[in-house]
Amino acid sequence: MKRISWIDIAGGIVVVAILALAPVFAASNYLTGVLTVCVIYGIWASSWDFMSGLTGRENFGHSLFIGAGAYTAGFMATIWFTNPWYSIPASIVVAVTFSLIVGFPTLRLRGPYFALAMLSASAILQRLCLIFWEYTGGEEGLYGLDPMMRSPLHYYWFVLAILVVTVIILTLLARSHWGLLLRAIRGDEATCQAAGINVTFYKIAALAISAAFAGLGGALYAHYQLQVSPPLFSVVTSITVIIMCYVGGIGSIYGAAIAAILLTLLTEMLRGFGEYRLWIYTLTLILILFFLPNGMVAPFWRRLTERFR
Amino acid sequence: MTALLEVNDVTKRFGGLTAVKGVTFKLQKGEITGVLGPNGAGKTTLFNMLTGFMQPTAGTVTFNGEPLKNLAPYQVVNRGMARTFQLCRPFVGMNLLENVVVACLSPRANSDKDKEDRAQHLLEQVGLGGRGSEPVETPPYGDLRRLEIARALATRPDLLLLDEPFAGLGSSEIEPLAQLIKKLHREEHLTILLIEHKLREFMALVSRVIAMNFGEVIAIGPPEEIVKNPKVIEAYIGKTEDAHASA
Amino acid sequence: MLQILIYGAVSSAIYAMLAVGFTLIFGVARILNLAHGSFYALGAYAAYVLTSVLNFPLFIAAPLAVLFVALFGVVMERFLVRPLRSSQLAVLMITLAVSLAVEQALFIIFGSEYRNVPSFVAEKLTIGGVDIGGQRLLALVMGVLVLLLLWLFIQRTRLGAAILAVSQDPEAAQYMGIPTNRIFSIVMAISAGTAALAGVLVSPFLTVQPTMGLLPMVKAFAIVIVGGLGSIPGSIIASLILGYSETIVAYLISTSWTELVSLVAVVITLMIRPSGILGRRAAF
Repeated sequence: MKRISWIDIAGGIVVVAILALAPVFAASNYLTGVLTVCVIYGIWASSWDFMSGLTGRENFGHSLFIGAGAYTAGFMATIWFTNPWYSIPASIVVAVTFSLIVGFPTLRLRGPYFALAMLSASAILQRLCLIFWEYTGGEEGLYGLDPMMRSPLHYYWFVLAILVVTVIILTLLARSHWGLLLRAIRGDEATCQAAGINVTFYKIAALAISAAFAGLGGALYAHYQLQVSPPLFSVVTSITVIIMCYVGGIGSIYGAAIAAILLTLLTEMLRGFGEYRLWIYTLTLILILFFLPNGMVAPFWRRLTERFR
Repeated sequence: MTALLEVNDVTKRFGGLTAVKGVTFKLQKGEITGVLGPNGAGKTTLFNMLTGFMQPTAGTVTFNGEPLKNLAPYQVVNRGMARTFQLCRPFVGMNLLENVVVACLSPRANSDKDKEDRAQHLLEQVGLGGRGSEPVETPPYGDLRRLEIARALATRPDLLLLDEPFAGLGSSEIEPLAQLIKKLHREEHLTILLIEHKLREFMALVSRVIAMNFGEVIAIGPPEEIVKNPKVIEAYIGKTEDAHASA
Repeated sequence: MLQILIYGAVSSAIYAMLAVGFTLIFGVARILNLAHGSFYALGAYAAYVLTSVLNFPLFIAAPLAVLFVALFGVVMERFLVRPLRSSQLAVLMITLAVSLAVEQALFIIFGSEYRNVPSFVAEKLTIGGVDIGGQRLLALVMGVLVLLLLWLFIQRTRLGAAILAVSQDPEAAQYMGIPTNRIFSIVMAISAGTAALAGVLVSPFLTVQPTMGLLPMVKAFAIVIVGGLGSIPGSIIASLILGYSETIVAYLISTSWTELVSLVAVVITLMIRPSGILGRRAAF
């Protein structure tokens, strides 16, 4: 297994410390809220990066798993009135189930077709939410969820801890033989088959793992916003996550998480620009695709810490 | 003695085109057999059907006494039949060692030992020892061929299929590779089936030749006889009158 | 029943125009152009600007709008897409980015209220007892005409033959002296132009708002997948299937289910026959 250098660990600790302490020093509930969303996007982004970054099978329908997890939490809270903590395992199970249902038929498709099939799947679910509005609350969705903890700050630390666990687990998997196999699948599937590897199994397993964390993030989001609505299933959500991974450096996982946090902060800061916000965001994407195809965060970090490796 | 591989009346049709027709032969354990034929004779299609990359339209393939039917390629490999490709397609973005480690992770290759250790050993066996950390983009084509063979060996095959192993190699690379194939045949008790164009190396390696043309087997026999077989000559050079006319 | 027949035909014709452009640029240049819906929207908005703001008469505004969008498409392909051609997914992303940028720009400039474009044909006609707006009929007729012209163009002209050559093998075509890059631009112009024309034709009777390109985009994409990427006849057949399915679903069930039709069609196609009805290249 590829050894993780001490400088990466040190860097990680520093980042987590900053993130954990920032709202304490700023003494601002607003910042806590913003950072909670940032961190959840970090979970979503790193989960996407694990599957699509490693295997090269870019999933344009990640919002399917996000929405599945969120709506599971929503249903459990508003229809069955369960304890919010049960949302966590439930959302994971539901998201993984979706990934198995959708993954089997679509993972044998080549690049762009897989991407678009997943996109269609998430769009179908968004449509279904609107069609069956009596059950799902339609455009407005479900609201009235209970928060998991009374203190927003404590909840933020909880979510941050989950992000750290997520990144650690996914990074360990990526550096292990599992990750090697996934990268081999990206290299050449036929050669993988010739090497005796059950390619389909590994692709589906990767998708399921990706979905599990995405769904978990969805549930956490639901219990933060205290409501869920169809835009969670939208293409925009999927694309936003993908952009974060590109900026972070595809396949690095920690890059995706950090880029997610930075970009969400950026979006928040751009609120002042009003309508121009999304436009600036999109232009940024275009610029990045052109000039930094390897992303910003991971290459930058690697260059910065070259001497310490 | 039951043959290691039995191919019975195997046929492959693509719509209106019949690429392979009624191919039948047996391979005994320990043989090195060659498949000879001009381009388009159906050799690679045959290989694809033996290894699960394509399913025959008709006919059966039996390996180690068990029929191979509707198996995915990785399943065929895990039964003991490994192959190399005509065009080397290694895993880019990784180094030589990692390329072999991937194959060491297959169920059949499973060993208690450290996978990296076994991969190192395999690289040494094929003559690439000590070069594990080289990225796969840099070595010359001949070395990539050896890497392919190492990758195939990792799965502990009983039968090794080599698809034009000498293709694309310079004259200085061919003889060492032929020696390597002979050495592995001895050391690993492999049965080998290989496709090749380059007659000289081919004839020196194999003990039996299956000659194909237009998807059908036209002759089977030892190399010395095949070379004199009129049908084989016709397939490669054309009818004797034409050969004289163009001479 | 006749109503379904006629309205279904109108839908099919419009979708066909969109789908054909989409499949054409994919078939020739392997570009999955997610900005195709933007061309449609831009066509409608251009028509709006030219008629309502600049007060050009319709029959001048329409071709101008189409030309403008065709030019936009060519510029986009030349400067944003061509440099990234090595990665099909980077192309996907950048065309998506363009579509988002266009949508936002329209939103910023025009706001989200629906805009009105005057009709070419104001009268309503009655065919076999069914009322139908003249504009819708015009859309149907123009759609069929354009597709016919396109088909003839590709089959009968030298330029068309060049386009076919490039779609089969860009490198080989280049060796034979065909200026591949210029062909890409031409095909992009045609693709964007037909999408814009569709937008111009529907603008009088469909709502003109910044996100109008999204849904047709999904439908065009669905048609192209079902019909087979790269196959024009396939797209036409699939347009008919989907156009009619939607109209039937709208009448029998409800209009909110219509979007599901195309999405489900895509999923079914990808699962059963990924290459589509007439597609040459399979999806795997």
